[in-house]
Amino acid sequence: MCFRVSLCPWLVVIAMAALVRIGSVCRRSVPPLLFRSSSLVRPLAARKKDQEYPYLFTAEIHASPSCNASAGSKAASLHWTGERVLSVILLSMGPMAYFYPGPVMDCSLAAALTLHGHWGLGQVVTDYVHGDSKVKLARAGLFLLSTVTFAGLCYFNYHDVGICKAVALLWSK
Amino acid sequence: MALLLRMVARQGLCSSRTQFSVLYRHAVPMGTSAKEEMNRFWEKNTQLNRPLSPHISIYRWSIPMAMSITHRGTGIALSGGISAFALAALVLPGSFPYYLDLIHSLSFGPALITASKFAVSFPVAFHTFNGIRHLSWDVGKGLKIPEVYRSGYIVITLSILTSLALTAL
Repeated sequence: MCFRVSLCPWLVVIAMAALVRIGSVCRRSVPPLLFRSSSLVRPLAARKKDQEYPYLFTAEIHASPSCNASAGSKAASLHWTGERVLSVILLSMGPMAYFYPGPVMDCSLAAALTLHGHWGLGQVVTDYVHGDSKVKLARAGLFLLSTVTFAGLCYFNYHDVGICKAVALLWSK
Repeated sequence: MALLLRMVARQGLCSSRTQFSVLYRHAVPMGTSAKEEMNRFWEKNTQLNRPLSPHISIYRWSIPMAMSITHRGTGIALSGGISAFALAALVLPGSFPYYLDLIHSLSFGPALITASKFAVSFPVAFHTFNGIRHLSWDVGKGLKIPEVYRSGYIVITLSILTSLALTAL
């Protein structure tokens, strides 16, 4: 959610001077929040907006969900955490696959690798693809790719030697 | 702002919460998400046919920058490789040992085999070690610039050593 905070430019200069005065009077450093609040007051950067609003200029800020009454969905945050958790799991699968190869390892490796790749490529799409329809197309394509990848790996695990054995064979040559 | 000053003078610079609530007294919710704003930005600028400012063509390359894009590049390459492997498993008729013997019978020189082993193991090693570096950043460790460079050099060294070790296996 974005908030528009309205402040009067005339008082900005007075406020800045007063802050210094108060700081010197109280004989201790001005608490950091005051300086943080003064960063919302940007007289030079907002000059252009002054022409649109001759008597006040607005600062637009994105407040964190905890500040509003209606908190947003936690989906993005959970996705982020899930990505990191999966990365840690995949990290542990390396030595596990080496010491305990087998069908269980093959299947979990297939699932973890595909999901990690899917989420990773999803971040690449988010970074470089812009525009609603293009994003939708890219995500659909990615989903298709990941589905085919997972299906292929499962097929390989079931009908063929399996991932762990395949890597072992490949490396023995 | 006048309100803020009066509150400050009265309370003697304590209790940050009151100052925060004073700032929000004149706040008006806009009703757009960051995602919507980003979409608007791109729509407006592509519609106006504005050229993109030079960025990667002029910015000086640094080790962290190069490692970051390499992390992405190795990730995409490895993912593509796995997808290609899975697709081949679905499409091709023979079994894996069959194709392995087929490649073996083509009798590539040992140099090529070693080179291809290194070419496979280096992206895996680099992406893994840099991934650990990313995870440490995610818990807030090692974010100072000298630490970033130091961990970067460690990752590069470990990646080379590990891929050499894996190639030799």
